[in-house]
Order: sequence, then structure tokens, then C-alpha cells
Amino acid sequence: MKGWRGTLSGVVARRTVQAAALLLFFGLVLAARRHGDAGPSAWWQGFFLLDPLVLLLTWLAGHAVPAVLWLSLATVALTVLLGRVFCGWFCPLGTIHAIAGRFLDFCWPRRKQPEHWSRWQLAKYYLLFAVLLSAACGVHAGAVLDPLVLLYRTTVAVLLPGVQWALEDGSNVLGLSEPARQLLRERVTEVEHQAFLGSGLILALFVALLALNRWRPRFWCRYLCPLGALLGAAALRPFLRRVARESCNQCELCGLNCQGAAAVTPGGEWLAAECLGCLNCTAACHRGSLGFRLAWPWQAAPACGSGTGLDRSRRRFLSGLRGLAGAAAGGLAGMFLLRATPQSRGSTGSENLVRPPGALAEREFLQRCTACGLCMRICPTGCLQPTLGEAGLEGLWTPRVVPRIGRCEYGCTLCGHACPTGAIAALTIEEKHAVKIGIALIDRSRCIPYAYARDCGTCVEACPFPEKAIRLVDVEVQFHDGRRQRTKVVSQPMVDPDRCTGCGGCVKECTFKDEPAIRVVSANETRTPSVKPFLDMQPKPAGKPPQPAASPPGENPYVG
Amino acid sequence: MSNYSRRDFLAHSAAAGMLAWQADRLLAAGDAAAARPADMAIARWKGPEPKDATDPQLAGIATKLTQQAIDALGGMRRFVKRGDVVWVKPNIGWDRKPEQAGDSNPQVVAALVAMCLEAGAKTVKVGDYTVHAAVKTYETSGIAPAVKTPGGKMVFLDKQRFKETAINGERIKTLLLYPEIIECDLVINAAIVKHHVLSNATLCMKNYMGVMDNRAPFHQDFAACLCDLTRFMKPRLCVLDAVRILKDHGPVGGRMEDVAVKTTVAAGVDIVALDALGLELMGKEPGETRKAASIIKYAEESGLGKANYRGLALKELAVT
Repeated sequence: MKGWRGTLSGVVARRTVQAAALLLFFGLVLAARRHGDAGPSAWWQGFFLLDPLVLLLTWLAGHAVPAVLWLSLATVALTVLLGRVFCGWFCPLGTIHAIAGRFLDFCWPRRKQPEHWSRWQLAKYYLLFAVLLSAACGVHAGAVLDPLVLLYRTTVAVLLPGVQWALEDGSNVLGLSEPARQLLRERVTEVEHQAFLGSGLILALFVALLALNRWRPRFWCRYLCPLGALLGAAALRPFLRRVARESCNQCELCGLNCQGAAAVTPGGEWLAAECLGCLNCTAACHRGSLGFRLAWPWQAAPACGSGTGLDRSRRRFLSGLRGLAGAAAGGLAGMFLLRATPQSRGSTGSENLVRPPGALAEREFLQRCTACGLCMRICPTGCLQPTLGEAGLEGLWTPRVVPRIGRCEYGCTLCGHACPTGAIAALTIEEKHAVKIGIALIDRSRCIPYAYARDCGTCVEACPFPEKAIRLVDVEVQFHDGRRQRTKVVSQPMVDPDRCTGCGGCVKECTFKDEPAIRVVSANETRTPSVKPFLDMQPKPAGKPPQPAASPPGENPYVG
Repeated sequence: MSNYSRRDFLAHSAAAGMLAWQADRLLAAGDAAAARPADMAIARWKGPEPKDATDPQLAGIATKLTQQAIDALGGMRRFVKRGDVVWVKPNIGWDRKPEQAGDSNPQVVAALVAMCLEAGAKTVKVGDYTVHAAVKTYETSGIAPAVKTPGGKMVFLDKQRFKETAINGERIKTLLLYPEIIECDLVINAAIVKHHVLSNATLCMKNYMGVMDNRAPFHQDFAACLCDLTRFMKPRLCVLDAVRILKDHGPVGGRMEDVAVKTTVAAGVDIVALDALGLELMGKEPGETRKAASIIKYAEESGLGKANYRGLALKELAVT
């Protein structure tokens, strides 16, 4: 039988696909922005529709998923057929880790060691188990570790603003500021000088994960990635499996080049669940001993040479169970500890936690939000920012409205239409105008007409409602002009709680640019009736009194 | 002829020269009143009435009114020299459609751009420091698409590039101004007539607030601040767009009930006169426009112009 030769083309093909998938990922990030009056696009959600972990976690925690997410079962089917090719060929974060590993080895060369399976690679399965268990109990927080979510968030909150900063400020130096700004405006984002609060922590996590490649190639993919673990579980016995011919002399060239450390020992058993299908081994093999062949799941994988297989003794099995017990304990403890915050106990609302319009009630919101950052990307004013501690650790990096940075735009409903998991409901514009995300609150110790007896009214001017939710009241006030006390009429702003939706236009334009004299707090938000401080005092419509709405609990309060 | 001396020759030549030099002045004195260019022109539409504010005919009407108003002032060549860089400064503050009368009429702006280019302007830039997100606002207002046809250049203002500039006004000593605008050879103020919740009306003088950053402190003393800014901007050509006006709930607007069709465009060199006309066009009780009236009065007292526009060289046109 002829040796399996010429498989280098497989590596070239894989790298081409990887590069294309990486470019597609970034391209879809760039495409996720407002295009004139064109409506929302399904492309925005791009890779999340291929992510079975997002599907599973959201389904477990939120008991409901948008129908399009079921598309991700295609990834599972692909994995059952071909193994973890998603990780090796498509996953953009995997590609970045592969590049980072090679780059680190280039900068700081090291002696290559054959990579063999280590029990530490089980860590990702334990992590997945813990994450799934806590999701089944309603905590969705594990989704922040989904690789696609992680990369999307990092791209949106750190990488793109970094590129934007470099283009904006660098082009000033080079005298190309207008072309650079035009490029940014037309291709990247319409938000000038976009930046995100607390992006340093997102960057730190990303850099730390990249740096781990120096210690073990594709550290994240081998040891941590919960999506990799999920796909690994689907790839225990894939149809496509690696086989070795007897010509193998256990030279370990395959081990030196293996990205997933899939072989248990030199020439030992090959673990399909750990193989990323990268084809490095077949390309590296000088004797042409390695190749991939189709096999039925019930057919055992042939081990090559005399190498040993995985220790499948009862002792090992039990120790694996003990590991699962540890993961379960960790997952449950983590869930309780994550939840043991004043916000989660409902004893306080964080006044700085103003959620985007259409966000579900906080508990349901957290059971769906992956903190992917798509809403922050799509927001045309940059008002959506990642939380740090405002929503507790459970809500880390979930979106909140920061009106000092941008107003929630009157005519925009993009975030709800972009959200891949339905954490933010897709509202119509009429629904949006009826949804309150908070209420403006005037700080009379700073507000110019109140504290300094001068006219201002910038907040009134900025209020987007034609009829205004902030109105001026002429009040006769006393002030001192330095010589004597005088009286004058000043127009003081007053907020109408019936009308104010908390969009924050007033905060954005407030004359005080450091700490505004008007703020938006979440108090009057529609999604939490229990904290609503105001009675609805709008005049009764003529005719029949309104019928009490009968909507079963848990149903989306914004739709229908 | 032999005694026609050199002295005589010089004396006669000088006299003839003087005569020739003075001749056109003497001749011109006869129809001085007719040749003296108008200070202000009001073009009113007298053709078939448009149905309402959404009538598509308003586009053509706006173009005609603008062209004739400028022609009545002596044409754009009076203001634009060959090779000039011109900035047309409409009001594009708000993400509103043309029929909502939240921003200057796109056809008025486009007509001005076309006339500037015809008059030999090198570049005609159009831009405003929007309140709502600029990319969307430029499109929604209809101004970006309309300006593209004649060849105007929409410019997005960059917050980083506002520069503190000494204006040495009465109230304001320095302002954050946009250098690209104030360095232009001509800034044409193209303001829409709109209600404003703080100043009762926003007209040409208030339209200048689009060239500056940190505008909010102006609200503490509109009259003095607007006069300082206007004095610094040295208005040479202002256009008042009253094709549609926003009578209430300004400056944001958004309710079609508040939009009135006035099919009028005025142009002139006296900004105070135009603002006085604009306030008249609002058609409100004096009590409702006290603040705007006080700004105009203050500007007149500061010597920026005449509020009684009928006392100027005024041309009133009926356009059909």
C-alpha cells in the first residue's frame, strides 16, 4: 500500500479556511452597524448562530431560545461527522491562538517538545459541566467564557476602539485625518472616539489567554474552552478518524506538531475528542504513515504502533467521576456565590444599572445575556457600555446605558434586533417610545437655574419628545448680585415622570461636562414594576376604562 | 496749430481724462436708485398652493424661491469671487425628515451650493455641528443627498478640531470655534425658521451656534452671546428658509401638526432684518416671542443691523 503523501495541501487548505473564517468574523463585526435606514440584518449575529454552547446555555437557563439559534446544531452535526474541525478550521479565537502561539515561539524561540495528552485537558470538560449545571439552575454567566462571545466582546470593546484610536490620532499626525475619519465613519463606526468603560479588564483576560500559548500551544483550546469541550463530547467517535499504518516508527514528528495534544503517549492512542483536525500530523509524517479514514462509530479506533491507549480502568473512571463531583460542587458553589449579591437578592437596584430599552426583567435578562457585546457594537451613539460591578459578578460585561457617553437614540431600536439570545426584546419604534428605561433626576445642587439662579434649559432643548418630558417652570428666585439681594425670574426644569423614558439626551447635553446636573436612574423602568416610584398620572382616555391586561408571567412584556 | 503748446496738450489731455473718468459716474447717477443692489429680498410663492408640508412640489418651489431671492440681491457673484471656498451653514441639528421642518430645507441648501459653484467658487462645503448622530442626521435631513447633485461637499465636524479662538465680544472673550468654517472666504447662513423652547425662535443668528462647541453656556444670556458670535462671524449673506416652518415644540420638533407651509425664502445682508422677518413669519403673539424679540432688539442696539427690514433696500418678489 502506498504511503499517505502530499497531505501538506491539507494544511494549506486548513489555513486558507482559517484565514477566511477569521476575516469573515471580523467582517461581520464591522458589518454590524447602522446602514442608513436599512433595517436589522441576520448577518449581525453571524457566528453566534453556529455556536451550540450559546444555544445550550440559553436554553437551560432561559428555557427559551430564538429559533435561529437552533442552526448551531449544524455545528454539532459537523462535529459528529468530522470531529472538532470547527475548533481547528473555523473558530476565529482558535485561529488567533494558533497565530499567537507561533508568534510567541518566533519571538522567544524554545525547544519544541512532543505534545501528549494530559489529564489537565479534562479541565475543560469539568468547566463545561460546571457551567451547564449552573445554567440548569438559571445562571447564564458561564457564557462569558464562550470563545466566540469572548472574541466578539474583546473585538468590540478593545480591538476596534484601539484601531480607531490609532487611525484617528495617527492620521492627525500624518495629515490624513479626513480620509481616515471617512474610512471610520463609512466602514467601522459612526461613533467618534468610541471607547468602552472597563475595557482594560476585557483586554487583560484576552492577553492572559494569548500569553498562555507560550506555555502550551493552544492552551485555551486544550484546557479551558467550554465550547471545545462540548464539541469534544460530540466527537468521541466521529465518522472521520485518524489511522496509522504499520510503517509508523514512532518518531514523534506528529506529536511535535499536534495542536490539540491528541495522542496519549508516543505512538499511543489518538483521542478524537482532543484532535482539532488540523492535519499537521499527516503533513509532518515523513513515512506517510498517518491518514484520515471514515469509520462507523461502533468501530474501534486503531492505535498506532505498540503505544498505549487511554487508561480506562475502573479506578480512572471513578476518579473521573470524582472530578465531575468537584466540578458540580464548584459550579453550584459558584452559582450561589455569584447570586449572593444585593442586586441578585433584589434588595437593591443599582441606580447606575440602566438597561437598554427592551431588556427583559433583570433575572430573565441575565438568564439570556451572554455579554457578547453585539448590542454595544450596534449602538449608534456608543451609549451601551459593559458593566463592571453594577450588575454583580453574574452580570459582568452585560450592557448598560451610560448617557454621559451617549443618549439612547429616540428613533433607534437596533440593540433589541441585534441581540442573538433575545435578552433584549426586538421592539418597534412605537413600543420603544412607550418603554421607560429609567427616569431623569435633577441634582438641584448643581443644576444652574436652581443653584445659580441663571437660565439654562439645555436639558429641555435636548429632550427628544416633541412635547418634552422636561419642561421649564418660571420661578421667582432670590439672589445676591454682590451689592444687594435681588429678585428675578428663572426658568427651572422639571421632569414629567409620565413621559420621561430615561433616554439620557438631557444628561448627554447637560452644561456640566464633568458630573452632570441631571442623571438617569433606573427607578422608573418598565421592566421592573416592583420598584416603580410613580403613579401614572396621565389623563384618562375618554370612553371605557382600560381593561386589566392578562399576560401570563414570564411572557415578554413588550411584545403583543 | 503751431502754438498748441505741450502745456496745452497736457492740460487738455488731463481735462479729457477727467471727463472720461467721471462720465460713467455722472451717467450712472441718473439711475442710481435702480442700480443700487438690494439689501434684502423676500421671495414668496404665488403659484398653485401646495397641499401640505409633504407635497413633493415644495422641492421645486424651494429651489425657485432661493434662486430668485439671490438673483434679486444681485446674484451670487456679488458675494462669491472666483476661487473662493464657501461654507453653507444650514441648520442640521436634528435627525428629522425635511417635511418635519427640523432642519433647513435641502433644496434651499442645494440651490445655494449650485449658485456658489456657478459663480466660480472652488469648493462649497456644507456642514453643521449636529446634536443627533451626524451620519444619520445628514442623511435623514435630506441635505446630504440634495447637496451631492450640484457638487457640494458635506463635511463632518470633528469634536477634536474645535479650537479656542479669541472673539473679544462683550460677554464672550474666547470660543471653541471650528477653524475649517471660519477660515472659509464666505460663510452663508442658511437658517430655517423654527420655534425654540428656550429662545422662542431659532433664526439666522442662533444658526451660527453650529460653528462652535460647548454651546450650553450661551443659554445663560442668549442675547449678548449671540450678538458676540454674530459680530465675529461678520455675516455677509444670510438666507432665511421659511418654505416650511416649525411653529411649536422646537427645536427638536417631530410633530407634523406643528409644521406650517409658508413657501417663503428671504435673503439679505442684514442678519437682524432677516431675523425680524423670521419672527414675523412665526405668526405668534408678542407675548409668546418675548425672548426672541429681546435678542433682536439687543442685536439692533449693538449695531448689528436693522430690525425694521422695510426701511432697507428691499425687494419683494412674487414667484410663480
